[in-house]
Amino acid sequence: MITKKALPRRTFLRGMGTAVALPFLDAMVPALAAATTSKPPVRMAFVYVPNGIIMDGWNPDYEGKLGELPRILKPLEPYRQDITLFGNLTHNTGRALLDGAGDHGRCCASYLTGVQPRKTVIDIKAGVSFDQIVANQVGKTTRFPSLELGMEDARQAGDCDSGYSCAYTNNLAWKSETQPLPPVLDPRALFERLFGNGMALTPAARARENLYRRSILDFVSDDTRKLETGLGPTDRRKLDEYLSSIREIERQIEKAEKDNAQIDPHMEKPYGVPADFAEHFKLMSDMMTVAFQSDLTRVITFLVTHEGTSRPYREIDIPDGHHPLTHHRNQPDLIEKVTQINSYHVRQFAAWIAKMRTIREGDGSLLDNCMIVYGAGLSDGNRHLHEDLPTLIAGRGGSHFKTGRRIVYRKETPMCNLYLAMMDRMGVHVEHFGDSTGRLEALDLT
Amino acid sequence: MQFPGLAKPPVGIVFDSTMGRIDDVLALAMLHGFDGKDQARIAAICVSSADLQAAQFCDAVGRFYASATTGPAAMFMHFMPIGLADSKPAAESPMLSKAVYPNSIKSINDTADPATLIRNELMAQYDQNAAVVLSGPATDLAKLLDTFGAKEWVARKVRLLCVADAGIQADTAAAEKVFAEWPTPIVTVGREIGEALPFPGDSIEKDFAYASAHPVADAYRAYRPMPYDAPSWALAAMLYAVHPNDGYFKLSGSGNRRELIFDPDQKDRIIKTYIEMASAKPVARKPRHPVDEKKDEKKDDKKEEEKKKDPAQ
Repeated sequence: MITKKALPRRTFLRGMGTAVALPFLDAMVPALAAATTSKPPVRMAFVYVPNGIIMDGWNPDYEGKLGELPRILKPLEPYRQDITLFGNLTHNTGRALLDGAGDHGRCCASYLTGVQPRKTVIDIKAGVSFDQIVANQVGKTTRFPSLELGMEDARQAGDCDSGYSCAYTNNLAWKSETQPLPPVLDPRALFERLFGNGMALTPAARARENLYRRSILDFVSDDTRKLETGLGPTDRRKLDEYLSSIREIERQIEKAEKDNAQIDPHMEKPYGVPADFAEHFKLMSDMMTVAFQSDLTRVITFLVTHEGTSRPYREIDIPDGHHPLTHHRNQPDLIEKVTQINSYHVRQFAAWIAKMRTIREGDGSLLDNCMIVYGAGLSDGNRHLHEDLPTLIAGRGGSHFKTGRRIVYRKETPMCNLYLAMMDRMGVHVEHFGDSTGRLEALDLT
Repeated sequence: MQFPGLAKPPVGIVFDSTMGRIDDVLALAMLHGFDGKDQARIAAICVSSADLQAAQFCDAVGRFYASATTGPAAMFMHFMPIGLADSKPAAESPMLSKAVYPNSIKSINDTADPATLIRNELMAQYDQNAAVVLSGPATDLAKLLDTFGAKEWVARKVRLLCVADAGIQADTAAAEKVFAEWPTPIVTVGREIGEALPFPGDSIEKDFAYASAHPVADAYRAYRPMPYDAPSWALAAMLYAVHPNDGYFKLSGSGNRRELIFDPDQKDRIIKTYIEMASAKPVARKPRHPVDEKKDEKKDDKKEEEKKKDPAQ
């Protein structure tokens, strides 16, 4: 079995016969290999939806054990034992704080950075987002330190909200305080980034290519081993050097395989950006699943649509723009439409969660080893409120979180306190982040 | 909350008290009066004992003063949470024992940690345009100083800490810490000041009668058998914090730690201001988030252009 860490090449060469005989996925997926010897890694993802949520349809009227869920969260009800719902988390740095209008720009830019972004369309400045702090540490062991995905307009220049650059509304992850990481929007581009440009279009064709590549390696190593017997010390040393060089070639080939095509996503290569929202979301979430499953990355941010978007939702018979609808002025018909959009988003998310639950890993599921945050940078989009942000986590963060609960914290509790707690689960320990005042409590089983 | 682009706002006041004495209640009413008359803005209100009813009362008073606001402004009105200490439970106060006025607080989770709330609200103030009024133990402020980064925000935003001496000894360790580490000038209000400037009890039936049910007047009546005049430690601290340069009081000594000195010539003026502000009627508020002037200017420009094109408009 090939793993990046143990790399038992000698065993492989001597005892495993031909490479063709190896079960392809188990041999080539380090995360699954690791599962047999140690705990699977913990991964985290952020799924961000814009323009706030109709909170009456989000917040249950109870705390503690999750039972019947409100209308917007209804699609998650079958999986309520896998989620934790939070109350009263706040992003103070998303508020005006003397900078006037521009809540959409601020709430998105501060969401993972925990700092107040500079109000500008030119010399942008926010902060290093916490996903990138994690990626800098745990990302060294994966092919991609992090992945940034989205589904809508990733414009980086211009004024997108009252003097705030589009870089603020259209990015979640920030590598430095002046460098956002734009999301990949096109499923095909994401596919090629994950699995290689030259990858064949169908899973069957890809399997044939890999079998062929591995059988050549076995042929070389078997021939070399036959030369070992009957050689003197000098020749033996020469043979050792030769074997070492072969091993080095093997390693390079293995790495190239891993980098290019070793992980089979078991899906057709997408042809572009689907017009249908649900189809687009499914493609992106399918690839996020594979990326986690095969340990290509442990950190993903997914900006579903950008903050302040006026995207219509004709898929569900809502031709009006999302953002204008959220300024509903308490008109019931507009509130109903926003609720339908909120529900529609959660439905797509729930389908992803359902899939993640079915993938076995270690003693549980892939979802168990993840922390997938679903949330928004505004609660009430009509009034642009930055408190009681709609926030839930799907997954147990490596069987640590006590899920199936709604935990309500005190008002003004910094969202960054949650981030500190999540960083701990990711094995990244920092004392402060953004405007944190401590670690969020009452999350764990213990 | 303060906004740029508008005229410079009046001082933002953080009021931290146990709400356990009637002068705390009157000072809270005064603060709402100052706010309604645009002489001050409420930055944060905190209760420094673990008394949920005190927090409910503060919230109810806020809603009482907000009741004059109607229409679109009411739709966008946003009630800031009340800070409530979660440390030492307070003795039940008769004036707060019945939360008969509408409020939104059912449990401690409907309140905020005072240190976090104060830090957050200070971040929304102009530099050197906030003042903190402390009446009671300094527990919350000591915790604020220990909150990561908060001391810098205090130094940047706060111009003055005004401390009513009465009650601060309830937490001597916190008092010592605050007096040693607080990064702005501190002015203390001695006991003699509050006693020399009593709030007249007959004002309650006269000046607060505009409302058939007034939470402040009801609290006053419940606190002690009527009629009585109330010492004004917290009111004096509030008045000085809002109007430090208007000659209500003199200061002793020099440097960063000074005391208020009572000037008998100012007694009538001070008590008149107490009454006027504490009994001020609720005022209709503007929306918390002001209209974006630039946007409006652009809209106006567009309209002008359209008018030029079509004079019939």
